[in-house]
Amino acid sequence: MTALAAEDLVLSCAGRVICGPLSFAVATGTTVGLSGPSGAGKSTILRALVGLLPPAIVAAGRRTVLGVEVGAAGVDLPALRSRAVLVGQTPVVFPASILANATFGVRHVVRASRAELRRRAEAALVEAGLWDEVADRLDAPASELSVGQRQRLCLARALALDPLVLLLDEPTSALDAAATATVEDAVAGLAGRRTVLIVSHHQPQLERLCTQVVTVAGTSPAERSV
Amino acid sequence: MGVVLVSIVGYLIIGLQSGSVDWGRLLTSSVWDAPSGQFGALSMIFGTGVVAVIALTLAAPLGWAAAVAVHELAPPRWRGFLRAGTELLAVVPSIVYGLIGIAFLRPFVAELADVPGGDSLLAAGLVLAVMVLPTIVAVSTDALAGVPAGVREAAAACGLKRSEVIRDAVIPPARRAMGAAALLGLARALGETIAVFLVVGRADGRMLDGVGDLWNRLVRPGQTLTTKLNGPESILAGTAGDHWAALCALGLLLLAAVVAFTVIGQREVRAGQGGRPRRYRARSGGGGAPRWRRGRDRVTRGALTAAAVAPLVLVVAVGGVILTRGTAALDPGFWSSESVGASGGGIRDQLVGTGVLVLAAGLLAAPVGLALGLVIAEYARPAVARWLRSLTLMLGGVPSILLGLWGYWLFSTRLGWGKSWLAGAIVLAVLAVPPVAIAVAAAVVELPGERREAALANGLRRSQLVRSVVVPHALPGLLTGLLLGLARAAGETAPLLFTAAIFSGARGLPDGVVDAPVSALPTHIFTLAQDAGDAAAGDAVWGTALALTLIAGLLVLAATPARRRLEAR
Repeated sequence: MTALAAEDLVLSCAGRVICGPLSFAVATGTTVGLSGPSGAGKSTILRALVGLLPPAIVAAGRRTVLGVEVGAAGVDLPALRSRAVLVGQTPVVFPASILANATFGVRHVVRASRAELRRRAEAALVEAGLWDEVADRLDAPASELSVGQRQRLCLARALALDPLVLLLDEPTSALDAAATATVEDAVAGLAGRRTVLIVSHHQPQLERLCTQVVTVAGTSPAERSV
Repeated sequence: MGVVLVSIVGYLIIGLQSGSVDWGRLLTSSVWDAPSGQFGALSMIFGTGVVAVIALTLAAPLGWAAAVAVHELAPPRWRGFLRAGTELLAVVPSIVYGLIGIAFLRPFVAELADVPGGDSLLAAGLVLAVMVLPTIVAVSTDALAGVPAGVREAAAACGLKRSEVIRDAVIPPARRAMGAAALLGLARALGETIAVFLVVGRADGRMLDGVGDLWNRLVRPGQTLTTKLNGPESILAGTAGDHWAALCALGLLLLAAVVAFTVIGQREVRAGQGGRPRRYRARSGGGGAPRWRRGRDRVTRGALTAAAVAPLVLVVAVGGVILTRGTAALDPGFWSSESVGASGGGIRDQLVGTGVLVLAAGLLAAPVGLALGLVIAEYARPAVARWLRSLTLMLGGVPSILLGLWGYWLFSTRLGWGKSWLAGAIVLAVLAVPPVAIAVAAAVVELPGERREAALANGLRRSQLVRSVVVPHALPGLLTGLLLGLARAAGETAPLLFTAAIFSGARGLPDGVVDAPVSALPTHIFTLAQDAGDAAAGDAVWGTALALTLIAGLLVLAATPARRRLEAR
């Protein structure tokens, strides 16, 4: 079963091709890495998969996520994004409490009681490896957290939606070794239950976490198995 | 510049002490009767409050919604166009808004409430609503632009619909600065004089008799603090004695209110730029069935789109009225012939007069504004610079009627200039200095540190650095600020009425300084709009309005390309 796939995906900006053509398929429940040099368009590919491309960038080719063809007319993109969640490279926390950040997506998508939302947020914080550090101050402003904690809070915000697919853009770029290990543990814990696509330029990390790595290199993509 | 501000407060305080003011009566009584020495200002405070509340109730929600729609929903290539459209509303001088109020809002209120004339607090509030709308839209748009793009993406990546992203991710960090936009709009509404003057009816002593009386009061004449000060009493009172002291007390009340709202508003805008709301709000709701969410999203977006169109509709309506009624200005003879008493005639002398005033004001404001901006951004210690910046912003918020009375007291009376073009030009220059100084200071702050370092490394002294690096870098800002400031100054009426302008008898260029008045376009409209019963005067007054709007518009238009050309160097 394929969770997400790209066929001859080409991204271009003002007529200039920035990456592709690229084809890959990610099977349900697997963890796949996307590697390549800086500026190869890895992050932009993740955005293309959920229809969050900057207006200047145009995507050609088929992108299929959870059976939905992204870019086709009449697609309910918000609904898709709540099942295939993108976690950006720079951790964006909203000016609200830690708890409110963790429930930010889920409270819009799911009709649930306050207690139920809180339970899901707590479970997500545990899964993201942040729970022990924030359990006693869930109502504190999220802006008090360190960058590494914010990155895991963003992961928790995505996990609270209980998504089938996670798209992680450089999830450990801002972290020190200890925090990186925590996030890697969290991602490894997702294996089997969720489909994960990770962008990273840190090859050893991808080899630790992924069953397969897709290399994006300018316009000549290569695929190899680990 | 601080001297000017001190002097403005000073003349009011000197005025207060030239007679006795019964503050208790002033603030609690609504009886104002100069011959019997009774000065109660309650009805004017009430009137000022009512027109400001009407204006804000209409303009704040509309302005916020328009800003959100333009910045968050409109396609990028439409954004600049929509925003420029709203800014056009700010180009129209307030005297022209007064004229539109006379022509359309008075009859509208008269018919709506079946009252004679239609001069009313409601008409004044409606005019003000249109006038403060550009302020609210502009400040709110800046607040939204300050929200990092990553916030929108992060929220959308969680599956939120467009309207949910706006409501829960974009507005919370922008909320504080958007609230400040309304405060700045309020300050603008409280200080506006001339447009209100023409439609409010200027009836003293009208107070509310219970809540049931509210509508009755709204649709009938009233008085505000600014319209009282702009009336004939300010001349009749002389510049000393109880009557003048009572008027100065009104001026101080007005100044205190406007300065307070300006300062709080500016502070909130700055505080809000950090993107941090005042308090955290725990929310749990917002979810719902997919159909309900989709429907709500559609309704919200529809309402916002309608709000984005509203300012454009106003621009088209206002522009259309000025253009269709002002056809007299299409005749070249109108520009080159003399005015003829109460039937209007041409505007040759008024053009010359406004030209003299604006040119002289520009020549005064450019060096003073440049110096002030350099002191703020280059020379002063941080604490002093902060103070100077606040003082400059305060000065920019001082209602023009108070500047007019200041000029009348200082130049026309104390210095004995009588009506003098130079007095008018100085007052207009005071209006234009704050935008110049703020623009210069902003440009200096943006000067790249490397360029400064390179100049110093080549052995330049401080004064040489300023002359050959800092000032050239700040010139585009200077020019933009000056043109925008002069566009506003050109349309000002109230300051000229007391200092420089006469209706007829001023021919060509003024001779000397003492007792050397000029005619000017805005005061020409002011007099014709009130006194003329002649049908020909109707054509002349709208023709003059079109001419004045074109001049202000050209100054604003010139600001953009002038800036671009200088920056490209």
